[in-house]
Amino acid sequence: MKIKIAGTGLTKFGELWNKDLLDLALEASSEAIHDSRLTINQIDAVFVANMIHGKLSGQDHLGALVASSLGIKGAAFRVEGACASGGLAIHLAIQSLLAGTYKNVLVVGTEKMTDATSSQITSALMGAGSEDERRAGFTFPALYALMAKAHMAKFGTTRNHLASVSVKNHFHASLNSLAQFPFEVSMEKVLESPVISSPFTLFDVSPITDGAGAVVLTSESMGAGVFISGSAVATDTVGLSQRESLLEIAASKDASQKALKQAGCEIKDIKLAEVHDCFTIAEILAMEDLGFCEKGEGGKFVEKGHTKLGGKIPVNTSGGLKACGHPVAATGVKQIIEVTHQLQQRAGKRQVNGADVGLTHNVGGSGATVVVHILQT
Amino acid sequence: MSTPASIWRQHKKLHIYLNKVGRLIVWTKIFVAPSGFEHQTPYLVGIVQFESERLPLQIVDCNEEELKVNMKVITVIRKIGKAKSEDVIEYGIKVKPRS
Repeated sequence: MKIKIAGTGLTKFGELWNKDLLDLALEASSEAIHDSRLTINQIDAVFVANMIHGKLSGQDHLGALVASSLGIKGAAFRVEGACASGGLAIHLAIQSLLAGTYKNVLVVGTEKMTDATSSQITSALMGAGSEDERRAGFTFPALYALMAKAHMAKFGTTRNHLASVSVKNHFHASLNSLAQFPFEVSMEKVLESPVISSPFTLFDVSPITDGAGAVVLTSESMGAGVFISGSAVATDTVGLSQRESLLEIAASKDASQKALKQAGCEIKDIKLAEVHDCFTIAEILAMEDLGFCEKGEGGKFVEKGHTKLGGKIPVNTSGGLKACGHPVAATGVKQIIEVTHQLQQRAGKRQVNGADVGLTHNVGGSGATVVVHILQT
Repeated sequence: MSTPASIWRQHKKLHIYLNKVGRLIVWTKIFVAPSGFEHQTPYLVGIVQFESERLPLQIVDCNEEELKVNMKVITVIRKIGKAKSEDVIEYGIKVKPRS
């Protein structure tokens, strides 16, 4: 598989009072189309990733809304797969290019979350959980907190291991001007912040964010550039309690193995990764499930600095979901953009030296949908 | 979203889960709740292993300090969330420590 990333566009992430969902989508899309040097008429289809806008604002039908606002009259789709909506939209767009139906497509992930209250967002996001979980008053922080507690009990993962993910990702975000929280935090700050769902404090949890990211993908694979060489999706039960194990996200293993096979590479070839750190434990699980370290060793692996810029395998150089921000459906697209910029050697202060192969890992719900992409120069 | 019809369908199944003993696998205390549950914070939820299935349930009538991994809990019927004055009151299954 060889799908070229022809252009990228990314808005600032954060609490953006003066911009609505469409403003964000159009800003990122226009930048991506301009970057691709294609004209509007050459874009054959638009894939809009969005999870919760219909629920929060009443506006659905986002495919045609975004496409027509850009002046595109071709096919348009809205793609939803919880917090993996962005990665799923990229995957579907790739399938349409591989099928030969379209030649150039735009994928835009967009989310406007900060107009709503925390309770409204917490409820809306629980749409990605099971009915049982909603009825019992579960939240996403609670579901991942259960995974964290199971991991701590089984492998001796500590509160400091969890916190070190947050500290590391805030450091990376301090080098990213588009991040929601472009500043460092101390270990004490993470540990002493208010409890959201035990053992998680506020700084273990990704924030509520507005933002959009867009990429133009093309099946014309001439010339140099960054290419997607692997794209895979795997699924599991929507409810956490029905999974075989609380100690892993099995779909992460399945999707990454498939994507690596497609790309013809192994995990040791990966020079950097953007992974789904919706909660600190999620990045630790990702390290283990993707195969960067042994099962149970994820906490120590992060604490030792292996995943920090300059370490063995820099992870979440954008700042991740925790510190760059998590506009849910935009996240999967932002991950692709961060790795693209790294492979183009245009990541500035957070450039990973010698970056030529990268991986993105986008998770929906508590692990029911996982999308993994492999990017190469 | 709960509607009178969906609550009615759910209530018809409640008897299946009544008076069942299970074991608590893992739990957490929630401080930031979804809409309709804010008045209960902080509250405990966990995953409970029953004979043939595992369920995500709220844990009531106890303090967190009393909880232990693998402890026996028993299902009880309780009000779910907070109903507005004109809404149907929803009931569901929760667990409490088995004394």
